[in-house]
Amino acid sequence: MKLPLKWLKDYVNYNVSHDEFVRRMLLRGFEIADVIPEMPNIKNVCVCTITNIEQHPNAERLRVCDIDIGEEEQLKIVTNAANVTVGCQVPVALDGARLTDGMEVKPTKMRGIMSYGMFCGGAELGINDVEYEGAGVDSVLILNERHPNGQRIQEALGLDDVIFDIELTPNRPDCQSIVGICREAASALGQPFNEPVIERIQGEGNADDYASVTIDNPELCPRYCARVVTDLKIEPSPKWMQLRLKLVGLRPINNIVDITNYVLIEYGHPMHAFDLACVEGGHIIVRNADEGEVVTTLDGKDRTMSSDMLLIADPKKGVGIAGVMGGENSEITANTKATLFESAVFIPSNIRHTTQKLHHSTDSSARFVKGVEAVNAEIAVNRAIELVYKLGAGRVIGNMIDVCAADVSERNAIADCDHINSILDTEFTAEQMCSLLASINIPAVPEGNKLNITVPHFRTDIETGVETDWDIAEEIGRLYGYDNIPSTLMHGDTFQGKLGSRFAFEDLVKDTMVALGFMEAYNYNFTSPQEYEMLRIPETDEKRLTVRIRNPFGEDQSLMRTTLIGGLLRTMLVNYNRKTGVGRFFEVGNVHFNNNSEGLPEERKLLSFICFGTNENFFTAKGVIEQLFNVLGVENARFDAGGGEYFHPGRKAIISIDGDVIGELGTINSKVQKAFGLPSYSIVAELNFDKLMNHIRAVRKYRPIPKFPIVQRDIAIIVDKDVAAQNVIDVINSAKVRVIIENCRVFDVYYPTEPGDKGIPEGKKSMAFSFDLRSDERTLNDEDINQAVKAILKTLKFRLDAELRS
Amino acid sequence: MLDELAKIRENALARLKGIKTEEELDALNTEILGRNGALTAILRTMGKLSPEERAELGKAANSAKQALTAAIGERRSSIAELIESVKNERERIDVTLPGITGTPMGKLNPLTTVYREIRDALIGLGFTTFEGPEIEYDDYNFTKLNLPLDHPARDMQDTFYIDEKTLLRTHTSPCEARALMTLEPPFRLVIPGRVFRVDEPDASHSPVFMQMEGLVVDKDLTFADLKGTIDTFVKAVFGENVRSRLRPSFFPFTEPSAEVDISCTICGGEGCSSCKGTGWMEIMGCGITNPHEIENCGLDPKEWKAFAFGIGIDRVACLKYGINDIRLLYEGDARFLKQL
Repeated sequence: MKLPLKWLKDYVNYNVSHDEFVRRMLLRGFEIADVIPEMPNIKNVCVCTITNIEQHPNAERLRVCDIDIGEEEQLKIVTNAANVTVGCQVPVALDGARLTDGMEVKPTKMRGIMSYGMFCGGAELGINDVEYEGAGVDSVLILNERHPNGQRIQEALGLDDVIFDIELTPNRPDCQSIVGICREAASALGQPFNEPVIERIQGEGNADDYASVTIDNPELCPRYCARVVTDLKIEPSPKWMQLRLKLVGLRPINNIVDITNYVLIEYGHPMHAFDLACVEGGHIIVRNADEGEVVTTLDGKDRTMSSDMLLIADPKKGVGIAGVMGGENSEITANTKATLFESAVFIPSNIRHTTQKLHHSTDSSARFVKGVEAVNAEIAVNRAIELVYKLGAGRVIGNMIDVCAADVSERNAIADCDHINSILDTEFTAEQMCSLLASINIPAVPEGNKLNITVPHFRTDIETGVETDWDIAEEIGRLYGYDNIPSTLMHGDTFQGKLGSRFAFEDLVKDTMVALGFMEAYNYNFTSPQEYEMLRIPETDEKRLTVRIRNPFGEDQSLMRTTLIGGLLRTMLVNYNRKTGVGRFFEVGNVHFNNNSEGLPEERKLLSFICFGTNENFFTAKGVIEQLFNVLGVENARFDAGGGEYFHPGRKAIISIDGDVIGELGTINSKVQKAFGLPSYSIVAELNFDKLMNHIRAVRKYRPIPKFPIVQRDIAIIVDKDVAAQNVIDVINSAKVRVIIENCRVFDVYYPTEPGDKGIPEGKKSMAFSFDLRSDERTLNDEDINQAVKAILKTLKFRLDAELRS
Repeated sequence: MLDELAKIRENALARLKGIKTEEELDALNTEILGRNGALTAILRTMGKLSPEERAELGKAANSAKQALTAAIGERRSSIAELIESVKNERERIDVTLPGITGTPMGKLNPLTTVYREIRDALIGLGFTTFEGPEIEYDDYNFTKLNLPLDHPARDMQDTFYIDEKTLLRTHTSPCEARALMTLEPPFRLVIPGRVFRVDEPDASHSPVFMQMEGLVVDKDLTFADLKGTIDTFVKAVFGENVRSRLRPSFFPFTEPSAEVDISCTICGGEGCSSCKGTGWMEIMGCGITNPHEIENCGLDPKEWKAFAFGIGIDRVACLKYGINDIRLLYEGDARFLKQL
C-alpha cells in the first residue's frame, strides 16, 4: 500500500519526523517497508541562474553559459538549447548527477570547451506538464518562479514529497485505502482524523430509465451498486488527480477511468465504468460464464472463461470478467456519451480462483481477493459521482441502482472488560477502553464491566461472537502499546522439561556419526521418478510407493522420497566435483510411503550414510555400523548377503537384529554409480531409525567379569569358497562342548591364487578363526581345551565339510 | 711393589679420561680389576711379603682399588649420560608437524546445532518435546487453526498439496492441534520439524525449512506471560544482552498476534546494514492462541488459555553464523559444514 505524504496531510496534521512516523506505525502493526522520495532517480540536480551567454567559438549550434549555483565560483555549461536566456533559472545536472533514465552526468569537453554539467528538461527529469507547468516543453525547463540558486530541484519543483510503502497484514483489507490507512495514521500521530465527507449527488431523472442490474448468483456477488452519467465530456482528468495517480504508480487515462482509479486508491473499492451505449439495453447481468465463453478484456487479450467464473454481461454478450477486468467491447473511449459506474462485491475465493485459472490478476482482483465489503461499495460509487459532478464530467442521472443480498445492517458486539484485562494483564476501566477504541473510529459505550461496541462496517476483522474479547484485546493492546504491557514469568504449576526418548536417540545417533567422521546432510524431501530408474529400483519394490505432490515445482521434484540414498549420492557428487576432499556423509530424515489408503501416508525415519574414496570399502562402512551399534548398545546384529538392486550383487548385506530386518548396506552398483555421475564406487547404508531404537538395550546391567582365565585358541580351516564367515562362526558357537565359547571372530581369509596353492584344493578357501574358551567354575586344563577344539572341528566337518588346515 | 701399584693407579686413571664407550670401560675394568687384572696380580703376590709389608701394600692396594672402582663408576654414568643425550638429540622432532587421527571427526549441520540450542533453552523453561507428521491433513494445518477454506490468509503460505485433504505441512502449528486434542492440559511443548512452502529456492527462500513451535496451555496465562517467556527464551538463545520487543501483527491462529524483534545481533541495536538501520531484527511470530483454535480442538477457550510462538531455525542459523544464502544449509558442501 502506497501512501503519499501529501495525501495523508489532507486528513491528518502530520507533526512528527518520518522516522518517528515509521516507528509509531510499526508499533501499531503497520510496517513501513520503505520511505520513497518523489523523483527518486534524480540526484544532484539543482536550480541555477544563467548569468552570461556567449556563442561557442567552434560550433555554430552551441552556446557557452556562465551559471550561478549559489557558490562563489560560477560554472560554465555548454548547451545547444535555444530557449535559455540570461537571467532565467533552469535545472542543471552537475558532476555525478543522475537523471531519470539512469544516465550519469560528468564534466565533458564539448568542441574544446569544458562543460561542467547539463541543463535539464522535463524529459530528463521524468516529469511533464502534470507535475510542473512547462515541463512538457521539448527543451530546457525554464522555472516559473524564482528559487534560491543551488536549491535541490525536487524542492524547487514542489516535488519533494515522500511516499510511504506500507506492508499490510491480511486482516486489515480496510487499510488498502488512503482513507483507511490515514485513520490509523491519525491515531498513531495522536491527531484527529478529518474524515472526508462525501456530498451525495441526486441526479436528474431516473437511473432505472437508463440501466438495470440483475444478479443471477448472489452467493458470488452479494451486492452490485451502479450509477449512470450521461452527456459525458471525455477529457484528461485535472492535474491534481493525475499527479496523485502517478504518485501511487497509476497511469492517467481520461477523466472517467481516472475517477474509478482514484476512488480505488482513496476508498480501496474497485470500480469499473462501462460505455453504456455498448451494454445492450443498459441491462447488466451478473452470471456464471458459459464454459468456453470468450471475453476480450481491456488489454486486448482474449480470455476463455469457464462456468465457475463470474461474468458481467448484457443480455447478448459478456462485457467484463467480474472483479478482474472490463471488456474491450464496452470500454470508455473518446466518443463515449454515457457511462454506468459499477461498484460491486464479489466473493474473494471466486475471484482468487478466476485469477489463478486465467493467470491474470489486476489491482482490482487483488483487492477483491483480500476482501471488500458491501457498505464501502456504496460509498465508493457515490464518491465517484461526486467527483464526476465536481469535475463537470457529465450529467448525473437519478440515484444509485442497488441490488443487494448482503447484510449491511449495523453490527453490535459486547466485550467483557475483565476478560480483556485478564488476556492482556492490564487494568483498564471500561471508559479507558472506549476512549482508546474511539481513536480509531470504533464507537463503544461502557455498560458496567462490558463494552457495547458498534463495529464499523470497515472492520470486517472484528467478530461479534466467541472471538470478540480477543479481537478487542488486540485493539486495546495495540493502541496502548505492546511495549507498555509488563513482562512476567508464567505462574501456576511448575513443569519439568523433558527431552523425549526419540529426540534423545536422534541426538546420540547423530553425535556418533559425527564422531565416526561423517558430515551431516539435509537434503530436500523431493525427488524425481527418474531417480528411481537411476537407482534401478524395481517397479514392484516398496520404495516405488511414492507420494506424489499435486503442484510440484516440476516433474523432477514431484515425488516425496522413499529413500535417502539418491540424495546422499547427489551430495557426494557435489563434494567430488568441488574437490572438498570429504567422502563421508549421513542424513537422518523422514521418507513417506503411499501405502495407506486410509489416513496419512506412512512416515518412516531413516538413518543413511555414504562412504566414498580410496580408503573406503564395504568393510570400512560395515565397521561404521558396528561402531554405531556398539555405542547405541545394540547387540546381536547380523549381516547376511542380500539387499537392493542399487547395490553390487556380490557386495551387499541385509542387517538384522534378533531376526528383525533393520536395514541394508552395500557397495553401489556400477551402473547406478555411472547414472549419478560418480567416478568410482561408494558404499551406502540405510537403516530404519525407529526399528533401530527398538533394539537398543533399554536397561544396561553389569555382567560379572569372568573369574577364571580365558584361553584363546586359533584354528585355520579349509572350506568351500562360498561359505560365509558368519556361517562358520554360527557353527563354532553351536558346537556342543562343556566349556563356554565366546567372542568368535575371523582374522584371516585366503583364496588360492592357483589350484593347489598352499595345499588348498580347487573351489576351496582357507579361513582362520579365533575364539575364547572359559568356564565359570574352574581354570580350564589341557584336556578341557583339546576336547572343546576337537568337538568344534568335528561339528565344522559335519556341518560345513571343513577340514583343519595342517 | 708400591711403586708399581702407584703406576697402575696413575696409568688407569689417565686412560679413563680418554674412554668414550661402555665397551672400552669394561675392557679397562677387566684389565685392572678383573680376575687376571694388573691390580689383582699385585694382590696375589702379597702372600710372599712380610706382615708389615703386606699390611702396607694391602692398604695401598685397597685404596687404589676403591679409587679406581669409584672412578670407573663415575665414568660409566657420565658415558650413559652422554649416550642418552646423543639419543635424545637424534630423536628430536618437529613439533609443528600435524597431529595424526584415524578418521577426522565429521560435523553436524548448523541446522541441528541451532535446533538443539533453541530446544534445550526451552526444555530449561519446562517445555517437553513433541512432534507430528510432515505430510498432514489440511484440517490440522489450516482449518483447525482458524484458517477455514478460502480464508485469505491461506494465500500467505503457498502450499504443496498431495490431494484434497492432504498436504505438506506449511508450519509446525498443526502439531498444536494434535497436542490440544490428545494431551491433558496444562502442558508446555516444544515442537521442531521440517516444513514446506511453494517458494522457489533463492538466497533467502527454501521450499523445505526447519521450524520450531512453542505452545503453552494453562488456566491462567496472559500476554505479559508471553512477553516474559519470549524475553527469557531470546536471552537464552541469543545472549543476555539481547533485548526483545513485540509488535502487533496478524496470524489467524493467534489473537492478539505479535511479531518478535530482537535487538540486532550484529550492531547491538545501534543500527547497521544487517538490520537496515533500525537496530532490530525480526525473528519470529507469536501470540495468544485464537479462541477458535482452542474450541476447534475440543477445549473451552474461557477455561484454557494458551499462547504459542514459532521460530524459523534456518533464519536463526543464518543470523547466528552470518550465512547469507540459505541454500548452503541444504547443499551438503563439506567446506561449508567444516567451518561451523
